Parts: sequence; structure tokens; C-alpha cells
Amino acid sequence: MTTLTTTQTETKTIAPARLNCLLAEFENPAQIMAAAEKVRDAGYRYWDCHTPFPVHGLDGAMGIQRTILPVLVFCAGAAGCTTGLVLQLFTNSFDFTVWAMVWVTGYPFLISGKPALSIPAFIPVMFELTILFSALSCVGLMLLMNHLPRLHNPLFTCERFRRASDDRFFISIEARDPRFYRSKTEAFLKSLGASAVEAVVED
Amino acid sequence: MAHDHHHAPDLSAGNLTGSSLAMHARNCGIAAAAFLGFGAWNGFRSGDTAHFARTYLVCMMFALAICLGALFFVIVQHLTRAGWSVAVRRPAEALAQNLRWMWVLFLPIAWMGWTGHLDELFPWANLEEMAKISPAEAQLVANKSGFLNERFFFVRAAIYFVVWGGLASFFWTSSLRQDRTGDPAITATCRKWAGPSMILFGLTITFAAVDWMMSLSPAWFSTMFGVYFFAACVTCGYSVMTLICLRLQRDGQLKGIITAEHYQDLGKLIFAFGVVFWAYIAFSQFMLIWYGNLPEETAWYLPRQVGGWLWLSWALLFGHFVLPFVFLISRWPKRWPATLAAGCVWMLVFGFIDLYYLIMPHVPHDLGEFANYREFAEKHASDSPHLGDPTLIFLAAGVLALVLAMTARSLKGKSLLASRDPSLGESLAFQNM
Repeated sequence: MTTLTTTQTETKTIAPARLNCLLAEFENPAQIMAAAEKVRDAGYRYWDCHTPFPVHGLDGAMGIQRTILPVLVFCAGAAGCTTGLVLQLFTNSFDFTVWAMVWVTGYPFLISGKPALSIPAFIPVMFELTILFSALSCVGLMLLMNHLPRLHNPLFTCERFRRASDDRFFISIEARDPRFYRSKTEAFLKSLGASAVEAVVED
Repeated sequence: MAHDHHHAPDLSAGNLTGSSLAMHARNCGIAAAAFLGFGAWNGFRSGDTAHFARTYLVCMMFALAICLGALFFVIVQHLTRAGWSVAVRRPAEALAQNLRWMWVLFLPIAWMGWTGHLDELFPWANLEEMAKISPAEAQLVANKSGFLNERFFFVRAAIYFVVWGGLASFFWTSSLRQDRTGDPAITATCRKWAGPSMILFGLTITFAAVDWMMSLSPAWFSTMFGVYFFAACVTCGYSVMTLICLRLQRDGQLKGIITAEHYQDLGKLIFAFGVVFWAYIAFSQFMLIWYGNLPEETAWYLPRQVGGWLWLSWALLFGHFVLPFVFLISRWPKRWPATLAAGCVWMLVFGFIDLYYLIMPHVPHDLGEFANYREFAEKHASDSPHLGDPTLIFLAAGVLALVLAMTARSLKGKSLLASRDPSLGESLAFQNM
């Protein structure tokens, strides 16, 4: 514990820099593919790869399961379709009263001689709500499942990491991982052929 | 973006040329001759030439739809400068180049025009006969005679076949020339001409659909009819080209070149255009006419909503949209050959039923006699489609076999892959994200 005492009466305590993760740098996609497979097999859970462009097959090398997002989006689309149908059935086809925040009553209205319950007339709205619910849930759930938006990441303090958007490939293993031991993990990363291993601290 | 885990595909001649194609060309050719012969014999024997001519028209449009769908695929790949599709483009080019010979299928209709029997198919060809049945309708059609007259009709038909033959020939020969020279400038030329080609393609299939299908009910009109036929083309064309790719691989060719990734994209295209786009167009046409409720427009839907035709309409809704939508929306059925093949065969069958639904029913001439829809529906309760008609089945199987035989014949001795296309590497390494 380092304690700094100011000239004023106030005393401020600064904790030592806490380790966030170990960052290993690789030279090319082939190296990071091979390394990712070993990190996966070593059983780490909180780790990630950072590449300047999408590397095909890296998902498999990292052991990432297929996302369930499409299933959720399908359900949201079905919900949108149903909402469109029920909304129009209630407002156009029947005149019973339900409580939806306030008491509301349906209002069958004669439109160009069509029956009050005319499915063909409802389909455009059902279609549009299907698309709306699917699109919004797709973007929203994608952000949620990726823990986004995240405005800062300790990796950004690392000078070396800037090349992740240029010509270097990185693996970061987070310190909160149950299998993480600084010395062992550092040696492990070096054994994978990393050209450099750096400790990234939380700021 | 190849990586070490990717084995280089086998680009040797043995993998790229079809040893089984001679056999397929022969078998399909024999089948086509037998089926078409029996279908024609059965059709003539029935004595109902008007019905036989319509049945033949359904089958002719089916063959055209298959080849036009493949032509659209080829043009759109060049237009968008697509890299992924190089591995599957050659079968599509081979399917499209059949359009050079499709005018032969039109000869029976030209012969009907030559002998003065065109009115058995197209009522506008004989306005006096039309006026006897329905003077009001004949008057409407007489106003269209500047467009709907026999001479201009055949001139337009000639233009369509010249344009289609020319476009298909251009992309086919360019691609084959690149196999020999390896010149990347050929790809640039194809891309340059893809834009004008697409405009020509869109105009010709729209007018062809109006001429050969919509003018069967000459008083009726729908501004969506051209794009409806386009949806039919894509349904049939993409299904057949996918089946050809699957078959070539089952015969032991193109191993490791066409992968599950390509099949998944072909499946996506069938799902998007053949299933969803078709439903969008078919429903849009229906809804506008249903909502507007104008007698000269709704008359086209009336015969399709009585008796057995109502059931066929429902069968189309579920068979062409709902069931394949649920089946093809997931990832795995598009990647596994057996399920994808089943989906393609299913879509091809319903693509054919859709053309049958568009062409076969007659707009009734006795509409004025009925006070309301219910009376009409009761009188026509016994109207029914005849999908089991042997003439129809044999002619349809015959034209399909003919298209496959011609495709196999053109591919025989040629490379099954555009092996020197500059984007081949991208296509071979292609992966869905």
C-alpha cells in the first residue's frame, strides 16, 4: 500500500495498479489460430482474440458455440406477427372491452364493404410488425449478449494493442479467469509462440 | 484469407470434367423423347386442342422459367462482382445457354399462328368470336389491338428469343474462353455488360409474361405480372441449378470445390426469392385486386377461387410459402445435401404448380348472369384443376428432361468449374460468417 500525503489535511489512498489481463502478441493468422486452440484446450473461460480482420475458423479454434440469437429473433418476429394480428382483430373486428392501462373498446368499422374480420387487409401490418420486432430485437439482443455498449476497455491503455487494428494478432486472458496464475499463464502464452507478452492493468 | 487448416481443393482435370455427363445426356434425352412423344400423342388423341395448347404452354413456360432463372443468376453474379459464386457458376451458365434453343419450344405456338388457330390459346386473336360471347370484353380488348395483334406478337416473341439467346451465349462463351486463355479482362467485360444485360433481361421477361400468360385473359391486367413471372423463374431456375450441383458432386466431380458454404448460400437465395419474394409478390397482386374490388380485375381470381381451384390456391399458399419457409429458415437444411435436395425438388414442383395456376383457368364468360359470388361459386363448384392429367405430367417431365439433357450435353467435355476466373480463390475459401 502506497500512501501519499498531500500538504493539506486530506489524505488520499491509491490502490496499486490491479492486473486486468495478460496480452500476447502474434505475428500472423496461422499463429493465432494454433495458439487459440491451445488456450481453448487449456480450459480458460475469460479470454479473447483481437485481429485486424475476420479470421475464418477462429470461432471454432476458440471453441465458441453458435449463438442462439437467430432463435430469439424468430420468436420476436413471431411475437410481432401475433401482435399485429391481435391488435387489428381487437380494434377492427370485435367490440368487446378490455383493460389495457385504460378501458378500451374495439370498433368494427365498415371499410369498402369488406367483412370486419378480413385477414388479407391485416397482413401488411402483421408483416411490418414482424419485420420491426425482428430487426429491433436482433440489434438490441446482439448488443446485450455482447455486453455492449462498453465505453472503455483496459486494453486501450496498452500502446502495443494499437496494432490490433493494423498488422498484429492478440490473445488476452483475463485475470478473473479461475485458471489464471500470472506466472504460469505468462509462461504458457510464451510457450505458444507469442512474440511478446504484456501485462495490462486496470486504470 | 486462406489459413493452414484449409486443404487446397483438387483442381485436377479428373475432378473438373464430368465423366457421367455423356450418360446423363443420353438418359435424359431418351426420357425427353419418350415423355414428350407420349404427352403429345395423348394430347392430340384427346381432341381438345384448346386444352392441349394450354397444357403445352404451362410446360413451355416451365422450361423457360428454369433457364431464365439460371440466366438471372449468372447476370446478377457479374453485376454484383460476387466472388463466392464462382464455384457454382458454370452449371448455371450451362443451364442458361439452353436459351439459345428454346425458340424450338415456341414453334408449336408459331405454327398455331401460321395456320390461323392462335385464338384457341389467345382469345384476342379472334375479336369477332370474342364479341359473340362478350361484346363488352371484346370492346376492351379491341382497344388493345395496337399491341395485341398477331404480327406484333410474333415480332416480340422473336425479339425475346434473340435477346435471351444472345445474353446466354455471351456469358457462356466468355466463360469458356476464359478457361482457355485465363484472361482476367474477360471477367471485366462480363461485369461491364452485366448492367445492360440485366435491363434487357428485366424488360424481356416482363413483356414475355404479359404476352404469353397475362394475355390469355386479354381484358384483365396486373402491373405485377412480369415480376410474378420473375419470381417463378427464380424459384424454378435456382432449384434446378442447385440440384445439378448436388448431382455432379454425387457423381464424384467437383469434390471439395462446392462446399456446404456454397450450398447454404444457394439455399438462402431459394429461401429469399423462391419462397419469401414469391409470397410477397403473389400476395401483393392478390391484395390490391381484392381491396380495389373492381369487376374487370377480380374476374381473374374468380375461377381460381371456386371448386377444386380454391384448394389449389390454398395448396400454393402453404406449399410454396408456409412449409418451405419453416423448413428452409434454419441453417442445417441448407447445408446438408439430402435436405437441400428435398427442398429444391419441393420448390420445383410448386414452381410448376404455380405456373399451372397462372395459365390454366379460364376467366368465365357468364359472369354477368350471376347476382353474387355465392351463386357463381355454386354453379362452378365442380370446376377443378387436373394435375393428374397424363398429358400435363408427361409434357412437364419431358421438357424438364429435355433441359437437363441439353445442359448435360453442353457440359460434356468442358470444365465444370470456371477454373481460371480471377475470383476463384475467394470462392474456394468462402465461408459464411
